[in-house]
Amino acid sequence: VNRRTFLASAAALALGGGAALAGCGSSKTATTASGSGNGPISFLSWDGETTMKPVLDGFRAAHPDIALTATYSPPVAEYIQTLQTRVLSKKAPDVFLIAAENKTNLIGGKAVENLAGKPFMATVPEFNRKTYGSDGGEFGLSIASWGAGVLYNKDLLKKAGTDSVPTTWDEFLTLLQKLKAAGVQGYLESLQGMPTILAAFLGAVNAGTDDTMDAKIFDGSAKFADYWVEPLTQYNRMYAEGLVTSDTVGLKGDQVRDEFAKGNLAMMSTGPWDLPTIRETNPKIDMEMVLIPGASGLAPFLAGAASPGYAISSASENRAAAETFLTYLASPQGVAVWQKVSGAISVTTDVQPKLDAALDPIVSYVRSGNIYLPQIAWKRAEDILNVEAVAQIQQMVQGKTTPQQVAQALDTKLASS
Amino acid sequence: MTRPDRSPDAGGPGSGIRPRALTLPSPAVGAESAATAGVVDQVARPLRRRPGLTRWRDITATQLFLVPIVVVFIVLFVIPLAKTFYWSLTDFTGYSLNPSFVGLKNYRIILADPSMLAGLTFTLLFTFGTTILITVIAIPLAVMLNQRFFARNAVRSVVFFPAIPSMAILGLVWTYILSPLESGVLNSALGHLGIGPLPWLADNTLARLSVIVVAVWAGAGWHAILYLAYLQSIPVEYAEVAKIDGASPVRQFFHITLPLLTPAVVVSQFLLITNGLKVYDLPFTLTGGGPGFATRTITQSIITSGVGQGRYGLASALAVMFTIAVGIFALAQIVISRTVERRIL
Repeated sequence: VNRRTFLASAAALALGGGAALAGCGSSKTATTASGSGNGPISFLSWDGETTMKPVLDGFRAAHPDIALTATYSPPVAEYIQTLQTRVLSKKAPDVFLIAAENKTNLIGGKAVENLAGKPFMATVPEFNRKTYGSDGGEFGLSIASWGAGVLYNKDLLKKAGTDSVPTTWDEFLTLLQKLKAAGVQGYLESLQGMPTILAAFLGAVNAGTDDTMDAKIFDGSAKFADYWVEPLTQYNRMYAEGLVTSDTVGLKGDQVRDEFAKGNLAMMSTGPWDLPTIRETNPKIDMEMVLIPGASGLAPFLAGAASPGYAISSASENRAAAETFLTYLASPQGVAVWQKVSGAISVTTDVQPKLDAALDPIVSYVRSGNIYLPQIAWKRAEDILNVEAVAQIQQMVQGKTTPQQVAQALDTKLASS
Repeated sequence: MTRPDRSPDAGGPGSGIRPRALTLPSPAVGAESAATAGVVDQVARPLRRRPGLTRWRDITATQLFLVPIVVVFIVLFVIPLAKTFYWSLTDFTGYSLNPSFVGLKNYRIILADPSMLAGLTFTLLFTFGTTILITVIAIPLAVMLNQRFFARNAVRSVVFFPAIPSMAILGLVWTYILSPLESGVLNSALGHLGIGPLPWLADNTLARLSVIVVAVWAGAGWHAILYLAYLQSIPVEYAEVAKIDGASPVRQFFHITLPLLTPAVVVSQFLLITNGLKVYDLPFTLTGGGPGFATRTITQSIITSGVGQGRYGLASALAVMFTIAVGIFALAQIVISRTVERRIL
């Protein structure tokens, strides 16, 4: 094989490889299968096998007549792609998870059953049912929510002469100044995603509009610039005033968590998922999670959203068995087992979750749906806008763009998508 | 000092420096020896006498060996390429097989999107940055590794090691090394020297530089071993003759070693350019494409648009444009390198 042959082959591979990134797909025409059989069901899990095995064992013990096959795919991107491929190739599992990232396509593509009015939806709060709803339909059984607030180290806060996080943004910034003067790293966050503090600020604004903020933005009667500039300006104060460095742009969530766990950081924004690791790393740490302080005279709020919901494929031929499975997942027994293993904040009305005591100040807010996350509340182009928002905010905290420019960029992106 | 004789079309290590006496005379140079031409004629005549059917069978049998690769090429490359082009003209979301035809709308969106153009900018910067730096580092490194010294094989292994782990894993590890915090590995070390902390991954310029430097660190050893293989095929007589003629080591390097390494440079740079243009794993794990869109690559845009955002039509359009761009770059690199090769050799 001479070099010419090698180069020609390599050029061909390079050409084909680039296109193959996005080009593979089935081309069969859709045929909607329907059925009410009680036969075996397949389930594509979002949670790992460690979390789901006790739940599935419980279901199999309660319903030995229904064969259940579970496969696992980790969230988020890999799960979304696996499910999308299976839906497109007419091999959708009978039960799978509908999430913020795929709900528009799944509902719009009529790939999921309407669960509205089903008995197992009765204990699910309206907030969770509406999250995966559209035009009066309810397409996901969401049995949990997550909320993210400010997690603080009580011992480090004492160095600034206080024992808790204040409830207003001005006082929070003053606390950061005191911590800085005391030589303590006051606050860090990862800016690889939507900032928790900004999400909470926007949640408070949205609550003040009777939850119409996003509806107005997406029906064209308002713009991002109308609602986002003030929250962005307030949020950016901690960077503009030098209380937090823009190093957060290059930090991952795990790095922030490790700093907190080692006792090097007084406050961070996070949700329940980081607590087990922090406890394991530093069992003696005295910490608590509270609501994000309110800015511009608004009330404190939490970032958060309804967890992905269990959905039944519209192509399922074993719908009765699938509904039996969802009935078990929403039952007190099923929720209790899942909640214990996952440590999530379950929301069904007949089960009180057992959680880390550090979460006590936020649990009731989360369970009642006083949480907000922009990319969940947006009506379309969720990920497109989220990617743009994160990139623009990264530039803003570095002083390269202004809050007005961030909001305008989102308006431009929405208009073009 | 004479330049080694070689055929411009010869390829592979050492193949270009065969003595001319070993090559078959062609009709163009047949006048140099009637006797040699007679031998060639005797060798060739039996072929001419073969019946046409036998010859056709021989050719067919040879061509049949190509069938598997042609089938693989069509199934795995040509068909996906054609389908990609088809999807690029639709609003395919990945969930419905009845997309609408949108013409060139996806191409217009890409060309008007600043984030896509930012991805193109960094992809080109990464490609040319890593290609130049790795080439500049790998060739002298290969020359050094070609010398005799204590624990040479161990040193070669150490140099090659960064090429073994996946780039995604390297990216995650380097995230901690290049952490912008004071507790980051590199910043801790610099702190002892009274420098920093520096925002390695939190500043646009430093983040771009960091991604390129890590890629160079990971790739230089692999390409040095490639050059080493070519170096070992260069007869030592050339260097010995040059040494007797009084050539310094630097002169030997630039006038003997480097010209004879041209085939290796062509192969190495081809691999660097094609891999650089489609890079995804390292920038994604190291910076996530940030700050802003500073280290975003075209491949990341394709994956994000297609999988993350369910815009397979748009992602397909991007893939088509990217494929054409890669093809142009690859062909340009081949043409330029062959021109240079002819001039030097």
